[in-house]
Amino acid sequence: MIFYVILRGLDTIEDDTELDNDIKIPLLRSFKSVLDKDDWTFDGVSEKEHDRIVLVEFDTVLTEFHKLKPEYQKIIANITHKMGNGMADYISKESQKNYEGVETIAAYDLYCHHVAGIVGEGLTQLAVLSGFGEPILDKNPQLYNSMGLFLQKTNIIRDFREDLDDGRSFWPKEVWSKYADSLVDFTKPENEKKALHCVSDLAVLSLQHVEDCIEYLENINEPSLFSFCAIPQVMSIATLELVFNNKDIFYRNIKIRRGLAAKLILESGNIAGVYRIFKDYTRKIHLRNRPDDPNFLRIEIICGKIEKFIDEHDPTSALNVAKASRATKRKNEPSEFAIFVAAAAILSVTCGTMVLIAYLNGARFDLVFADGLKMVNHLLFNGPMPSSAHENVVPAVTATVASVVESVIPHSDL
Amino acid sequence: MSTQPLSIPAKKVLLVGGCGFLGLHLIDQFWNLSPRPEIHVFDIRELPKVSPNFYKFNPSQINVHIGDLTSPTDVSEVISRISPEVIVHSASPVHGMGSAIYYKVNVDGTKNLIACAKKLKVPALVYTSSAGVLFNGDDLYNADETHPFPAKSMDAYNLTKQIAEELVLKADSPEFRTTAIRPAGIFGPGDRQMIPALRAMGQKGQHKIQLGNNLNLFDVTYVGNVAYSHVLAAQKILDPKEADKVGGECFLITNDAPIYFWSLGRAVWNYDGLVAERTFVIPRSVGIAIGYVSEFFSSLLGKEPGLTPFRVRTTCAVRYYNITKAKTVLGYAPQTSLEEGINLTCASMDESLEKK
Repeated sequence: MIFYVILRGLDTIEDDTELDNDIKIPLLRSFKSVLDKDDWTFDGVSEKEHDRIVLVEFDTVLTEFHKLKPEYQKIIANITHKMGNGMADYISKESQKNYEGVETIAAYDLYCHHVAGIVGEGLTQLAVLSGFGEPILDKNPQLYNSMGLFLQKTNIIRDFREDLDDGRSFWPKEVWSKYADSLVDFTKPENEKKALHCVSDLAVLSLQHVEDCIEYLENINEPSLFSFCAIPQVMSIATLELVFNNKDIFYRNIKIRRGLAAKLILESGNIAGVYRIFKDYTRKIHLRNRPDDPNFLRIEIICGKIEKFIDEHDPTSALNVAKASRATKRKNEPSEFAIFVAAAAILSVTCGTMVLIAYLNGARFDLVFADGLKMVNHLLFNGPMPSSAHENVVPAVTATVASVVESVIPHSDL
Repeated sequence: MSTQPLSIPAKKVLLVGGCGFLGLHLIDQFWNLSPRPEIHVFDIRELPKVSPNFYKFNPSQINVHIGDLTSPTDVSEVISRISPEVIVHSASPVHGMGSAIYYKVNVDGTKNLIACAKKLKVPALVYTSSAGVLFNGDDLYNADETHPFPAKSMDAYNLTKQIAEELVLKADSPEFRTTAIRPAGIFGPGDRQMIPALRAMGQKGQHKIQLGNNLNLFDVTYVGNVAYSHVLAAQKILDPKEADKVGGECFLITNDAPIYFWSLGRAVWNYDGLVAERTFVIPRSVGIAIGYVSEFFSSLLGKEPGLTPFRVRTTCAVRYYNITKAKTVLGYAPQTSLEEGINLTCASMDESLEKK
């Protein structure tokens, strides 16, 4: 908690666009040394910043910080140092080019690593040290890095408009330049389609972290730490689903509804809930994916990959889902027999109506019956073929659907 | 394709069924080896003309032997003449034939090949089975090689593939090593079924119809990847250090990218610029009902029904596999992505259309 508050302070300094870089950068770089003091406070950030209070009353934070075990203090100080420097690097390097976002996907990853991945590193070290997390978490940096990157990248997509209005952006040019000449173009309604294609391209970059995030969560064995880590992740996949193919992000700030957030918090208390939520939202993204999007297939493949990963990691759940879905099908969907009866009923009613209409219109059924007899004669006893074979009875829709399925399933090995 | 130059400890390979859809890609993959082995093909037909844009091999350097797989004389004759270190058996009739033909080629042909190869002391046999041997219409979630065969196979094709696979694997011994590859849903240049059928649907405007909820994942495999996995299997089975891990084993092969059933079609239709503004979704239950109606009318008219309740269930089933075994034992990883594979397939179709 103290760790979070300290980083909040750091973040508040970084986020304040009104603070002069000459003050900001040295402050970020030397933030680690602040932690050695007992009475440091700072009131130089803008009143607009929500978490200004953290810095104004930072002395209370420091008092609490010094009560922690020295090894915990060391980890926190170390991470604070790394993050402060990372932020400072970014600001000094990129401040001129901010309107264009970051240059490459690699730079995008690096920025997200500085602002979110390193926090994960610190938290993970603390978790492993305290025995709340399995040692594998610490040994595999990709896992904790992905935890941070997934959150950060998704927020970067969501906050497009807010950031742009603040005169900055974090979207990588390597991606957005495929869809527009400048980021501002995305806010013009005539470019809506291109803008959404860019979002789905960015969504792929977010979704590629999902498997790591789930694996990370699988290795936390303390319930409150689990929730602490899982809640932002489930919020993030829900947010990604919300922004995906949603033109609103170019015009205003959108967030998931409070009710939904509450529901996600309640459901994400254990790994089974996390599996369920991730599978659910992955499927929602797949169902909202549009075939005319140039990233269509990439999104479909990555969604399929995540679903497969979840099934693979939770085989009992996959089997249960299969069984449950069959069971609910039996409950919710009519049984096969009922479908058969319904089909037969619809068929006879349709035929009856047709015959009735035909009769009312003066059809000569006496002749038809005679014809029918000849037909039976032909079929059974190889008699002469009647002149008018009534072959057009199959309703058009049946024919179309039949041929669809025929071509899709060439018998066995599709 | 980014295949790094592989090598296998064989001077001569015999590709049975090498003129078929997969067979031509097998030739291509063995052609890529360095050093390149002598490539022999045994088939009932001549090598068809292939486009150099999609196949690298030089047809004049491929030795084709025409013969009947079910004939002990034909098969013995070619094996004793060549004495290959490994035989790759991918001969199988195309789909939609009668069950007698499947029995004849898949079961009798394979039996004959095993007997001849054993007698003539061929060291190894790689057999092309099918992932379909596990499928009978029920959902398959992430099924691996431990998944049992269904009590009742889906059709004669899959049943005979299963019987043949069992024959091949049972024949494994230290003197005669055997292995089986089970690819799921092969597609690629030369494909006459999956992608061509989907494109034909699009041309008829049927891309606007979707049966089921499209939440069912299924696996497909680019033909080049399937052929590549055969080369890996041949390489491992001929390596004395690896042979025990591969001999008598089967390996599922996919593109390791399961896709939602209708999304593959949409990707293909996209290639042709066909995007349905609105898709007409027929729920599974309605589809089954239409299936019954269709079956009823078809029986009245004495025709094969196009849509049956069974087919609807198959279309809506989950069907994807776990290929961990192939990754760890064979060192397999798909070399061509799904997207590249689809583009290559469509481009090769367009090319052959232009020729006509």
